Amino acid sequence: MARINIENEDLFENPAPRVPVALCLDTSGSMDGAPIRELVAGVNQFFDAIDKDEDAHDAAEICIVEFNSGTKVIQDFAGVDRAQRISGIDARGATYLGEGVNLALDTLETRKKMYSDTGVLYYQPWLVLMTDGGPNGSAAELERAVERVTKMIGDKKLTIFPIGIGPDADMSVLARFSPTKPPLRLQGLSFNEFFAWLSKSVARVSQSSPGDAPPKLDLEGLAGWAEL
Amino acid sequence: MSFTSRGDGARIKAEIVSSLLARLTSLSARLECHVKDLASTMLAVATHGDQFVVVHIGDGVIGYVRDGELRIASSPDNDEFANTTTFVTSSSAITSMRLLRGSLEGVTGFILMSDGAAESLYNQRTKMLAPACLKLVRLLADSPTYQTKNPIHRKRLRKFLATRVREATKDDCSLALLARLPALSPSSRA
Repeated sequence: MARINIENEDLFENPAPRVPVALCLDTSGSMDGAPIRELVAGVNQFFDAIDKDEDAHDAAEICIVEFNSGTKVIQDFAGVDRAQRISGIDARGATYLGEGVNLALDTLETRKKMYSDTGVLYYQPWLVLMTDGGPNGSAAELERAVERVTKMIGDKKLTIFPIGIGPDADMSVLARFSPTKPPLRLQGLSFNEFFAWLSKSVARVSQSSPGDAPPKLDLEGLAGWAEL
Repeated sequence: MSFTSRGDGARIKAEIVSSLLARLTSLSARLECHVKDLASTMLAVATHGDQFVVVHIGDGVIGYVRDGELRIASSPDNDEFANTTTFVTSSSAITSMRLLRGSLEGVTGFILMSDGAAESLYNQRTKMLAPACLKLVRLLADSPTYQTKNPIHRKRLRKFLATRVREATKDDCSLALLARLPALSPSSRA
């Protein structure tokens, strides 16, 4: 009787499909002190939670873009194994929100091209936009950012989580980025709760397959610590 | 008239989807669910005389062996994202269907796999089938009929799928093989 003689080298090991998550963070002067410390702690907790989840660990790739009087990629897209934990962020300057979102989208497009070029499958990308104020950068850049984001959402190419920090966050501007669901305003500085919820949501998406119902993003679960 | 000799491919696609939807509608009534609940991809190979037909909706892969070499007949249709594809129940089922036909000359087998099995048997970067596919087709082709119907033989194939292939994925895992011995050349017949 013929035996099935198939060795490991007769099989392929394709990379896990990726969930790209771009964190676009306001690091303007008004975030100085407790807000920026809590934000950094929350982001690092997010990395730790992703690290602990078997599915999310293999799937999530996270990038961090900051905006103040300029914009910068603090962390380019990387899995939690390679991503550096943040030791601290110097909050300063103005709130170039539009410029920040555009840089996050550009970084995302570059990553998607890399996935396509290397045969890595990926899920719909996520953009987490967090600010405690209102934009005061270029109006044209802000309009361009709103237009790009809303088109991608309309085309089902992006999921956005617009988050207002504290009472001075301009929720009407955040709402322009999110035509399908209202922005959230954090109660106090509940970054830890938000990022714990975000890591669980990434884990759910990374387990989904074609034909599955879209993973339910449990916005009701946020009601205890955020205002819809 | 068989599919292999008809020239109206667009009509054939519509007929196939219509037939599949009729069966799914009947099944959904029996199961008391919506037809959409039975959404699935579809991979099929049929032979008729010296011709073959390949039908494919959605993801998964259909490969074949010609002149001893693995080739791709139809690749995954994943749109842009990993968790999106076309189903038999999708409005775009007809337009996205791959319908191919060809000669069986030199063809010794076909291998059809769902997306879960493709994680081990298809390289997403190079778009090539794993060497295991050739071994599986050869194994089936070389086995006499009494062996392929033998419970032990079937158990070994099932075990391969249930362990090596299934454990490497969280997706649906199906594999279908169709194989035959190579035709004898005139010189070897003599």
